[in-house]
Amino acid sequence: MKFRKRLLSSLFIGVLMLILAACSGDSGGEGGKSNDGESGKSSDQKITIFQSKVEISDQLEALAKEYEEETGVEVEVWGTTGDDYFQQLQIRLNSDQGPSIFSLQNVTEAERLKSYVHDLSDEDYVEHIAPGMALELDGKVVGIPYGVEGFGLVYNKDLVSPEDVADYESFVKTLEKFKAEDINGLGLAKDAYFLIGHIINHPFSLQDDFYSYIDQLTAGDVTMAETETFQEFGKFMEAIKENTPSPLDVSYDEEIGDFAAGKSAMIHQGNWAYGMISDFDVDFEIGMLPLPLQGNDKLAVGVGSNWAINSEKDEAEVQAAVDFLNWLNTSETGHKYIVEEFGFVPALTNIEAGELDPLSQDVLDASNSGETIAWSQSYFPAGIVPNDFTPAAQEFFLSKDMTGQEFIEKLDAAWKNAVK
Amino acid sequence: MKNSKNRLWYILFVAPLVLIFATVVVIPFLMGIYYAFFQWDGIGANPKVFVGFDNFKHLLTDTRFFKSAWLTTLFTILAVASVNIVGLFFALLVTSKLRTANAARTMIFMPYLIGGLILGYIWQFIFTDVFKRLGELTGFDNVFFNWLMDPQYALYAMVFVFTWQMAGYVMIIYIAGIQGIPEDVIEASKIDGANGWQRLRKIIFPLLMPAFTISLFLTLSSAFKVYDVNLSLTGGGPANATELFAMNIYNEIFGYGNYGFGQAKAIVFFLIVAAITLTQVYLTKKREVEM
Repeated sequence: MKFRKRLLSSLFIGVLMLILAACSGDSGGEGGKSNDGESGKSSDQKITIFQSKVEISDQLEALAKEYEEETGVEVEVWGTTGDDYFQQLQIRLNSDQGPSIFSLQNVTEAERLKSYVHDLSDEDYVEHIAPGMALELDGKVVGIPYGVEGFGLVYNKDLVSPEDVADYESFVKTLEKFKAEDINGLGLAKDAYFLIGHIINHPFSLQDDFYSYIDQLTAGDVTMAETETFQEFGKFMEAIKENTPSPLDVSYDEEIGDFAAGKSAMIHQGNWAYGMISDFDVDFEIGMLPLPLQGNDKLAVGVGSNWAINSEKDEAEVQAAVDFLNWLNTSETGHKYIVEEFGFVPALTNIEAGELDPLSQDVLDASNSGETIAWSQSYFPAGIVPNDFTPAAQEFFLSKDMTGQEFIEKLDAAWKNAVK
Repeated sequence: MKNSKNRLWYILFVAPLVLIFATVVVIPFLMGIYYAFFQWDGIGANPKVFVGFDNFKHLLTDTRFFKSAWLTTLFTILAVASVNIVGLFFALLVTSKLRTANAARTMIFMPYLIGGLILGYIWQFIFTDVFKRLGELTGFDNVFFNWLMDPQYALYAMVFVFTWQMAGYVMIIYIAGIQGIPEDVIEASKIDGANGWQRLRKIIFPLLMPAFTISLFLTLSSAFKVYDVNLSLTGGGPANATELFAMNIYNEIFGYGNYGFGQAKAIVFFLIVAAITLTQVYLTKKREVEM
């Protein structure tokens, strides 16, 4: 009897201890981290990377392994599906489980995470960032560009020649021709950015000064519906809807796959897609053309994403993260990965571009000659593409009767909703 | 002596659960009420501004919230009906003298173990690819098309998948209820010459009332709160046509970064769910009969 009682009370205490241990796990970890004397040794330091580009996840993990072998610092790469990256990041940051390195798309996002971004202005490699490509907030550099990227019409050179898509008339004619041949003239995909996010960039960027245009739009002084460029954009979208299969059935993978298989003549994509296209045995040449909105003959080139460091982490971890970015942007291995494995067009002038794939070459050529239009999307309200533009675009592709002009009016409403 | 020992056992088993429940439900809930009175973008280090009841007033003008409220109501009505009808039907089936009853029971319960997220992705594939293909092959393309691309059918698709998931679960509850009905009552009714339908209506259903109470409560509350199937199957699309309550709140908080306003919605949401389920439990409890 006595024995049983003792058993019971020891069991009880055991459980209590477990609970207490579980509850105090958080503070215990913190205490360990802030102990600078111990974590001064780099070997037990650990950094985490949470980044938005699904295309480079595998390569980044390989890079992390190499870095760990070289320096002993453990690098953990967290996965994401891409589309709701910023929301996931927000959740992690809020629960104090944020990564040490994360990606920031643009200045609007940086503004929202103001209290988290680490000032990188004093790092050596910052001076190598190509002019105008650094992510700056209040005069401080807070993001290092992944690389320069460009998008437009990725086309199959066997099926399309540049003069086929030089302006609205030829564009429509080409789509109609392909429709008759049972080929998809222009492929989009259902995911937010590939459905509307990238292509909507064009009418904005073609404004004389898109910064002030966007400000006016937000203030309600202009509407897209009354702007000529957007009206023509509406006609382009109408032509796409009428002459191609609905993109709402098509995933990103299928979009690329159909193109690689020759079932699509063109897709609206960027140079990042080449990695996946080359996974297929493609037996034709490919290139990138501008979307000929109002006769536009320039590719849209900008920075898709930037590396940023979480300043809320303790000093040692921030330093380790800084070291990692430093290594990535200055070491030979880092450069090799950026150029060869990630397939990025370097945005830092100290990185040799080396041999580029045809799409990146087109982007680099455009970038070098200055024949580009900007990425106005980096000035969009945060989250507008998945939250507001995408439902509008889905509605447009679903209802057969909706005209391009009505679509633009929907986009106006979407904009109002996003900035309210 | 005996009493204090029992109490010790009692604490031993309940304490961990109370602690867990408090940390993941009670405390966040109270914090949520607190945040509902602030204007805050949900980012820890950014300022919170006290706005009083403004968030709740603002709610009255949010048409998207009302649209999603209507969709949620519609979804719940359809889902509760179909889950319980199908679940009860299965329960009656596997308690009858069916040779494969045990196998059937396991198989019907299986979807519940898979989890809504994966189930949603599997069915997304079935609706997008298999249905479309089936329509092309059989010619019934007014039934077999991609349901997820039609604003109306996408909601039906959700009801379908939700039923697929939950029917097995409520079946188990109904089975327990059916097995609790004494054999002799049934036998007596047989001797009195009652046919199958009469037995079902006059004996089985009234005696099943406690099971109805539980099943209805479970399906009602989980249909109202559904998020996983919603996210993986339709993602709220097409064109926000299937954005239900929980997703609307999530989008408000994380999509638009209106943490305070989203919390206000969540509080209102809680009140609605509580009111409806309590009413339901009250009503069905009243109809339960004592043996």
